[in-house]
Amino acid sequence: MADPAKTSNPPAVELRKIDKSFYGVLANADVDFSLARSEVHALLGENGAGKSTLCSVIAGLYRPDSGEMLMDGEVVDLKTPKDALAAGIGMVYQHFRLVSNLTVAENLALGNPEVGLRLSQSQLEAEARELGERYDFPVDPTARIWQLSVGQQQRVEILKLLYRDVRILILDEPTAVLTPQEGQALFRAMRTLADEGRSLIFVSHKLHEVKQVSDRVTVLREGRVVGGVDTADAEPRDLARMMVGKDLELPTRAPNESIGEPVLVVKDLVVEDDRGLDAVDGLSITVNAGEVVGIAGVSGNGQRELAQGIVGLMKVTGGSVELSGDDITGKSVLQTIKRGIAYVPQSRLGMGLAPGLDTEDNLALKQYREPPYSRGPMLMQNAFNTRGAELIKEFDVRGVRPGLPIRLLSGGNLQKALIAREVTQDHCVLIARSPTRGLDVGATAVVREQILAERDRGIGVLLISEDLDELLALSDRMLVIYEGKIVGEMPASEATAERLGLLMSGHSEEQTA
Amino acid sequence: MNESVLMLTLMAGIGLGTPLVFGTVGEILTERSGILNLGVQGMMIFGAVMGFWATFVTGNLWLGVLASLLAGAALSLIHAFNSITLGVSQIVSGLALTIFGTGVAVYIGKAGSDPLIGQPSKAVFEPIFPDALADLPIVGPLIFGHDAVIYLSWVVVAVASYYLFRTRPGLTVRAVGEDPASAEAAGVNVSRVRYVHVMLGGALAGLGGAYFSLALVPSWQDNPIGQAGWISIALVILASWRPWRALWVAYLFGIAGRLNFTFQTLEINVPATLLDMLPFLLAIIAMIALTSGKRARFLGAPAALGIPYSREER
Amino acid sequence: MSRRLIVEPRGLAPWWLKLVIPIGSVLAAMVLGAVFLAITGNDWVEVYQKMADAAFGSGRGFAETLVSATPLILTGVCAAIAFKMLVWNIGGEGQLIFGAIVAAGVGIWLSESTPAFIAITAVVAAGALGGAFWASLSAVPRVYLGTNEIITTLMLNFIALNLMQYLVLGSSSPWRDPEATQFPQGRPIIENARIPEFFNRLDWGLFIAIAVAIVAWFVISKTRSGFEYRIVGDSFDTARYAGIKVPKKVLGTFLASGAAAGLAGSILVAGILGKMDPRSLDLGLGFTGIIVAALARLNPIAIIPVAILMGALNNAGPSLQSIGVPAATVQILQGAILIFAVAGEFLILNRIRRPDPTAGEAKVEAEAQAA
Repeated sequence: MADPAKTSNPPAVELRKIDKSFYGVLANADVDFSLARSEVHALLGENGAGKSTLCSVIAGLYRPDSGEMLMDGEVVDLKTPKDALAAGIGMVYQHFRLVSNLTVAENLALGNPEVGLRLSQSQLEAEARELGERYDFPVDPTARIWQLSVGQQQRVEILKLLYRDVRILILDEPTAVLTPQEGQALFRAMRTLADEGRSLIFVSHKLHEVKQVSDRVTVLREGRVVGGVDTADAEPRDLARMMVGKDLELPTRAPNESIGEPVLVVKDLVVEDDRGLDAVDGLSITVNAGEVVGIAGVSGNGQRELAQGIVGLMKVTGGSVELSGDDITGKSVLQTIKRGIAYVPQSRLGMGLAPGLDTEDNLALKQYREPPYSRGPMLMQNAFNTRGAELIKEFDVRGVRPGLPIRLLSGGNLQKALIAREVTQDHCVLIARSPTRGLDVGATAVVREQILAERDRGIGVLLISEDLDELLALSDRMLVIYEGKIVGEMPASEATAERLGLLMSGHSEEQTA
Repeated sequence: MNESVLMLTLMAGIGLGTPLVFGTVGEILTERSGILNLGVQGMMIFGAVMGFWATFVTGNLWLGVLASLLAGAALSLIHAFNSITLGVSQIVSGLALTIFGTGVAVYIGKAGSDPLIGQPSKAVFEPIFPDALADLPIVGPLIFGHDAVIYLSWVVVAVASYYLFRTRPGLTVRAVGEDPASAEAAGVNVSRVRYVHVMLGGALAGLGGAYFSLALVPSWQDNPIGQAGWISIALVILASWRPWRALWVAYLFGIAGRLNFTFQTLEINVPATLLDMLPFLLAIIAMIALTSGKRARFLGAPAALGIPYSREER
Repeated sequence: MSRRLIVEPRGLAPWWLKLVIPIGSVLAAMVLGAVFLAITGNDWVEVYQKMADAAFGSGRGFAETLVSATPLILTGVCAAIAFKMLVWNIGGEGQLIFGAIVAAGVGIWLSESTPAFIAITAVVAAGALGGAFWASLSAVPRVYLGTNEIITTLMLNFIALNLMQYLVLGSSSPWRDPEATQFPQGRPIIENARIPEFFNRLDWGLFIAIAVAIVAWFVISKTRSGFEYRIVGDSFDTARYAGIKVPKKVLGTFLASGAAAGLAGSILVAGILGKMDPRSLDLGLGFTGIIVAALARLNPIAIIPVAILMGALNNAGPSLQSIGVPAATVQILQGAILIFAVAGEFLILNRIRRPDPTAGEAKVEAEAQAA
């Protein structure tokens, strides 16, 4: 698949020793990368591996802290995405930059300096149609963006770049929003583009796709390049191991002897996402009292919809949810709170906490309807203060000052406050999403302790996370979610990086056997 | 024929509708860029008084027009600064400017030793075509019987429409009003586009106001423009943010404003105040029917209208 | 490295800043006003003195100031409780007028022998209900259809105004005084429904208004319902997460807001006016209420002194004519105060500083988008 002549030509894009940090956190470290002409190059890695950052550097969105970038052998310094576009590099982001109410043709024309002062709709439309046909990528140029399916919108994004004749296209997790058929059409188009002499970078966490469409694969982990191979030579299990890392620490705590009755039973659950697609697609899990069930998976496979569907924040369109034997499918949030589901959402300030209210108020957010926080219609401010002080002390929430909006606390303290509130409710199930994400070591330890304490108290914990270390440190049983279904289940002691990595990237267990 | 009640009503309606044309088209341009300007009423009155004053002092109508354009633009600059650079509440800023602008205008009208108030204008806009043309049946008055400002309003509508829908800068404005983040990603300077269009809107509002004081009324009173500024804001919705529709809707309401008189002449008894309610009532119905839910996409408001935009730091 | 100043969101604004900005806005507006007066050939010192004198200089003057302040307290509360929840109810004007219409209607319809206590309560309550109803015309579409309330409340202002004018000036409806032959007037309400005065024209309506502001403050800060209101006003998503039914809260707040304005209308009708008098009700009290709310930074208790200030300005306006200065000076000041207040809000929310020449402060938490 790769052009043997490329060895004598300089690579289309080359990165040497690229470093990029944000606020002191290293997103890319010492990255060397090379992209040849007519090549489809896959970037593989988990969340947080640095793939998107690297792409953003190439696309001119970020400037590297050190290192250099070359195009066709010459050093370039791209200051803005506009520079990148002018140099022939364009990126299709996960969140499209299309104006919903305008037509396809209008979106193509927007910001394009080559379109003259006068807009000739007919000319734009003809050009759009012609481009679409050339790549077997037909779109109706007169359609408004909101009328198009997500797959078609993505085509428009790609056409936008082709309209500007970019030579290097970067696609960030493009198949996340496509149906399988649309994905295939995309791959065909990618091959056509590559055969024309363009180069493509394709970010993914799905092994089968990488195998299908790419010529070379580079694996990133924790901001560094851990391997680069020709796709033809790459074995899935090797790739998975590279993605996920060294053998993960096995849990050292004693397994819980007293796992009890099922407290949360989910059967064939179906939940639609914001776009109306089934993000949770017939999913079943059981969580027992005194057990931590971990669900691993790359973000975007239905985790949010699962958690919010159970809790009542999103509508359940199929299946059932039972809590200690009672059917709570589709009940309101207030009901699920009262019946005993505690929920630590992924979005701390956007959902779990009210950013402008102070810490004491936030600590009362779930229980304010009951004494001692309120008596009848009246709020008992004393209770807020005393209970608040107790929880702040017990959970070591630091930085609290009277009247200080909670959003000013550091991430670790925010999470401690959130956990404090959730675990001190009257509850039998705790659902937690990525509870230690972005936390420092101290806060992480506190949160992990709390989750284990929950387990010891007989609470059923559903831990949904993308962080395998976190999952393995806490779970008794491990599940993997992929495209809205559970694709694998095993006791934590049998979970290996390779097994999990394969499942998380869509490679079913049968295929590895 | 040309003196029939129908013709007189139509002509008067066009006249009364002309300030609404300017105000509405101006606000359409502003809102298309995503900024809501509730200060139109203040800008209109301020434009009316400054236009009147300029003509009063110089005797030249076109200097009056220029003054009104500058006055409206200047006042709207304050709103632009508040809304775009500071990103504070557009609603409160707009209302503040209406109160402020109205206050300044009324004050100017009454200030000084020889206040403007009550005085007739030193010059008035007259029809520009010779009577021979204007006397042609029907077509005569309707096409040839107007003063320069009315013809100017037609030009403004045509230019605005062409601009918005057939030029690239116009496409840019529409994109900014729909989705400033995507526009910014495509290389557009969102702030600059918004500033320009807020000031254009203010200028046109000012001109609309001046038409009252230099043609329709034409003297200075405390409030020569009635509720024309508020009506313009309502008309933007009824016109679905499109300049040509604004022309027709404005004339419709100009005629409605004249209907009181017409009905009296025809001895039909409809209460004036109820007719006055009409634009506002229609605007509400249109608002509910046209902008709720899915319909919004068809006839709708720019999606980012009224939401402050700040460029994210990289 | 650019030399431009850095603007960044402020964490917690110091308490004194929240006081300085509103006061500063008033002072800045007065400076602007002074400049304006000077340019147009007036003696600003004389003007300001005259205004202060009219507003506070005598017992009667001060009473009039309080009379002017009374409806402003209520329309201020109307705007404040709505805005705090990001419900842009700018229809206080119309809600006040419709409240007046309903109140006057009840006040006219009651029999002359109705005991005073019942009559006054009925009229005043009717006004509140009227205002709530008028608000519901915007609230219901907002909550159930997502219709933007800015335009609907704005338009309803003018509809209410026209309706009131129609009822008194444009027809011979029950609201019109059959005995007023020279010029159409509103029909007086029954004597028993009048709120008694206690000092010049100042009536007990002032205390109703103050009570409402205090109750608003109390409900918001001290009750369970008020807690929920504060959560919704802070973050809709968090409120939903906490099990609060957000649409109901929004609807309830919107209606309460309208009720406050309607109450202002009924207190005017039952108090100093004694009838529905279109000229005295069409004073922009709703819009002035928005100024009051903005300057008081949406705090119901702070609304009381701010409303008195605005009432003072309104009261002082007419007196300026005796020294040959247009009363419109007051509008200029009010508009300018609001412009400065709204711009000043920027300084409360943001901080301006010079860029740090050494390496930027590192945020300890990895809140950043690391890939």
